[in-house]
Amino acid sequence: MNEISKTGVFLCKCGKKIEPLVDLPALEKKLTAESNIIYCETLPYPCLTPGLNHIISKIRENNLNRLVIAGCEGRLMLKKFEKALISEGFNKGQIDVVNLRDHVANVSDITPEEKSDKGAKLIKAAVAEMEVFTPCDQETVNMDAPPVIVGGGIASFSAAKELSRQGIDSLLSLEETDTDSILNNVCKFFPGERPNYSRLEKLIKEVKNSSHVTIIPKSKLSKVSGITGIYSLSFTVDNEPDIQKYEASTIITCIDRELSAPEKKFGYDGATVLCQTDFEDIVWNKLIPKGNTVFWINDYESDQGKFAQLSARSAWVTGKHMMEKSQDSKVVILYNEQMPLPLSAQERALSRKLGLSLISYDKSIKPVLQTDYINFGTVNDRLEHELPWDRIILSPVHKTDKKTIETGRILGLVYAENDFLNTDHVRVRPEMIGHKETYFAGSAFYPCNLETALSQGRKAGRKNGELVKKAQGGKLFPPRFVSFIDPDKCVSCGQCQALCDCNAISIADGDGAISPRIVDPMLCTGGGTCAAACPYQAITIKNNTNEQRETRAASLSNQMADDEFVTFACSWSALPAADNAGVRNLKYDHKGHIIGVPCVGLIDASVMAKAFVEGAPGVLIVGCVPEDCHHSFGVDHAWSRINLMKKLFSLCGFERQRIAFAHSDLNRPEEFANTMGSFSKTVASLGPIENTPENKAKLKSIYRLVKYNSRIRLLLSAGLRRPWETTYKGDQEYTLAYDREDFTEALKEELIKARLEEIFVTEKRSFNIKELKETLSEDSLIEQLDELDLEGVITHSYKEGIPFYTLCN
Amino acid sequence: MIKFNINDTEVEVEPGCTVLEAARQYGIEIPTLCYHESVAPSGACRLCMVELKDGNWSKLVASCIYPAAEGINIYTETERVHNVRKWLFEMLLSKCPGSNEIKEMASKYGVTSTQFPIENTDEKCMLCGLCTRVCEEVVGLSAISIVDRGVHKKIGSPFLVPSDVCVACGCCVTICPTGAMSARIDAVRRTPDVTLTPLAL
Repeated sequence: MNEISKTGVFLCKCGKKIEPLVDLPALEKKLTAESNIIYCETLPYPCLTPGLNHIISKIRENNLNRLVIAGCEGRLMLKKFEKALISEGFNKGQIDVVNLRDHVANVSDITPEEKSDKGAKLIKAAVAEMEVFTPCDQETVNMDAPPVIVGGGIASFSAAKELSRQGIDSLLSLEETDTDSILNNVCKFFPGERPNYSRLEKLIKEVKNSSHVTIIPKSKLSKVSGITGIYSLSFTVDNEPDIQKYEASTIITCIDRELSAPEKKFGYDGATVLCQTDFEDIVWNKLIPKGNTVFWINDYESDQGKFAQLSARSAWVTGKHMMEKSQDSKVVILYNEQMPLPLSAQERALSRKLGLSLISYDKSIKPVLQTDYINFGTVNDRLEHELPWDRIILSPVHKTDKKTIETGRILGLVYAENDFLNTDHVRVRPEMIGHKETYFAGSAFYPCNLETALSQGRKAGRKNGELVKKAQGGKLFPPRFVSFIDPDKCVSCGQCQALCDCNAISIADGDGAISPRIVDPMLCTGGGTCAAACPYQAITIKNNTNEQRETRAASLSNQMADDEFVTFACSWSALPAADNAGVRNLKYDHKGHIIGVPCVGLIDASVMAKAFVEGAPGVLIVGCVPEDCHHSFGVDHAWSRINLMKKLFSLCGFERQRIAFAHSDLNRPEEFANTMGSFSKTVASLGPIENTPENKAKLKSIYRLVKYNSRIRLLLSAGLRRPWETTYKGDQEYTLAYDREDFTEALKEELIKARLEEIFVTEKRSFNIKELKETLSEDSLIEQLDELDLEGVITHSYKEGIPFYTLCN
Repeated sequence: MIKFNINDTEVEVEPGCTVLEAARQYGIEIPTLCYHESVAPSGACRLCMVELKDGNWSKLVASCIYPAAEGINIYTETERVHNVRKWLFEMLLSKCPGSNEIKEMASKYGVTSTQFPIENTDEKCMLCGLCTRVCEEVVGLSAISIVDRGVHKKIGSPFLVPSDVCVACGCCVTICPTGAMSARIDAVRRTPDVTLTPLAL
């Protein structure tokens, strides 16, 4: 795969949409003259069958291994090219589509010749990127170890059964292995399911007797490490001091949350005012109580309306059992009018036959408990009534319990306050959809009854089985664009892990302080803010490296005129907005050249600096509207990096406005057009950065600083917004103080060091301190020189008592 | 290779091509709306109708889905084709009078008014289903679909509520040939949920 890149360029006429607007023959001529373009041709429609066949024949003829197609939206077309050319050995990343139609042809009124110039710049930049791009080998995910089912939820059994039905061995961790005890505990999670216990018992026995299921008895999950395919799990086992370790390929988590008793304000006392979970035990295991039993479905009153139906259902099952078995029992179910009753016609008829009353009450008049009577207002007339009671049965409270939180924490799950366990919100790849149902089941994840929990377990088992079978057949491939952490460079600072919003980065093994981090490619969404945040350049995004972006930005900047600028566009907001602007024929300023990026969060400050080093007078970065970012906070991270660049520009005496951040929405192309226009005016008013050796040296020092200075990169990463932070850091107290006193001061110190280093690197000779002071026009440099000396960057020797500094080899 | 004639000019394409692909390869213009290169053709809008002649006998076929065959004679600008195009544009103008794209295209082919009643002057969607196809074939999801049946047919997410499945990539907006989707996407996409709490120790 590491052969020399041979790039072919195909230009599209797109009927009359590109050809008359852009001077394609001139463009083709310009591109053919480039030494790094092996082949260039204009086709009427490269995307249609005749065009694709022609491209394939040219690929074979010229042994092309990279392709740049200049046509329309890559977002729509790339997949078709990738599909058609995969047989020619083209993997994702080896084909790039430049949007000649919507970023060049349709959106400005410049002449076809000028448009061909603009097109050439964009295409040449894409080709330059292709040249430095080394495709990674296609990896596969191995799943030799069995799947493990943890959490101990009731869905574990259906998941295990489904896996064994598929002939897949699995591990099942259970805290309680005795069938009767398991059944007795079910009512703590799912009340009102007694009639189904015989079937549940059958299921549990089947799983216990299955030869495919290995049960880890009386075990509790204590630690998880590893990535999809090779997990290592530790369990603590009752009455045993040793920790048991197991290898697993995938983890199915089945957790049910234990219901708790209602609050005192509803009169709960455990004797006459009971909770459904307590009462069920009495009814089924002891005597059926005589007299008036009122089930008050108080879920709406206790702010958990979404569970009202579950509570009503379980109340009905218990009430029905009481009425059937006992003559002296009278049951009333009192429910809020907002709730549709979860009963079928037959069940309603049965209720009438048994004399089980179902009474709805007005939602605005809260029922009130008093001695022997409960008051409620009827619907429509709002007349208050009284019901006699001997015992009141309240709905249980659904809250994430401590045990669930503990297991969730071990598995790295997150949850919104008082809500369900969740993995993450990122949904940027279609593969991420359905992710939950493959790995999670139980009432800790969704509101559900026993039946739904079991069917979720079955589904998790089925999907997991499919995954395992795919992996065993060698057909499970991780996505092409994922982060990779070089274990030799990783210093275990943990910044990436704290910033990752897809739960993909974990500690490889052992202690977090010394063990490198590792990326799970099956979870990584390729957002890439981790790579840009790594203080030690240990993270790369496979097939989409920082070097590629730097090269593309550099190539574009190199070709640009004095009033043109680079625009980085997020592929979720600004890039579609730009595409849509083209589709709608909106006209805007042509001086900004667009480079699409998967998320603005992956633009390293070094990419911005590189553009300036190579002569760009301005850089514009257009991301999503805050809080709309597909990668949680890529937008906020980009903001921080731009801010760093602005600070450095101020320190070096350049205009801060040269680098700007904008927000865009895919459905508002007109706003994107305005953004481009406004920034173009800014750049035009500023003019180019004067091309003096001093300015060049300054820009190069900025590049050196943001790319290699670990102190600044660490300070920057530490200040980035974390995925769980609901408010932006900028809102917090002390931030200004931190920014002013710590960050900016550190920048000043490090910038001088970077500039010194730049002098040593370019001049390649020794300097005395006086010379250096004059070059940098600084009063004191001794501290910085000492530090560089200590870091081993420079060394010094004495000539006639004066220290002379030179670069270390 | 297959040889056949379009407008009495001989064209040559590989097997598996459609008539439309062949015509485009040779620079012959055929109007299309529901056709997009990134997805499989569906032949929904019928605007790409061409006449296939065989001696005295002829029929109209949708060129985007009609496979090229040896020796057939295709005509793209006959009276029958013009007639059918005119009626199609009139129907489109009555169904989606709000769409500038359709208006421009129709006037290019000489149709500026419609004899059919106009129900909703703001309507832009012609229900070609291109957005649902791109969602399925390119994005790999089915966040939007054609909801309801018959005259109640419309484009939207299931139950017409913002969908969890939608990743808000905007492919449907970009591909929409009539500009109708931009008014609909806000009812489909969902703001990502960013209120996450880490599990406390």
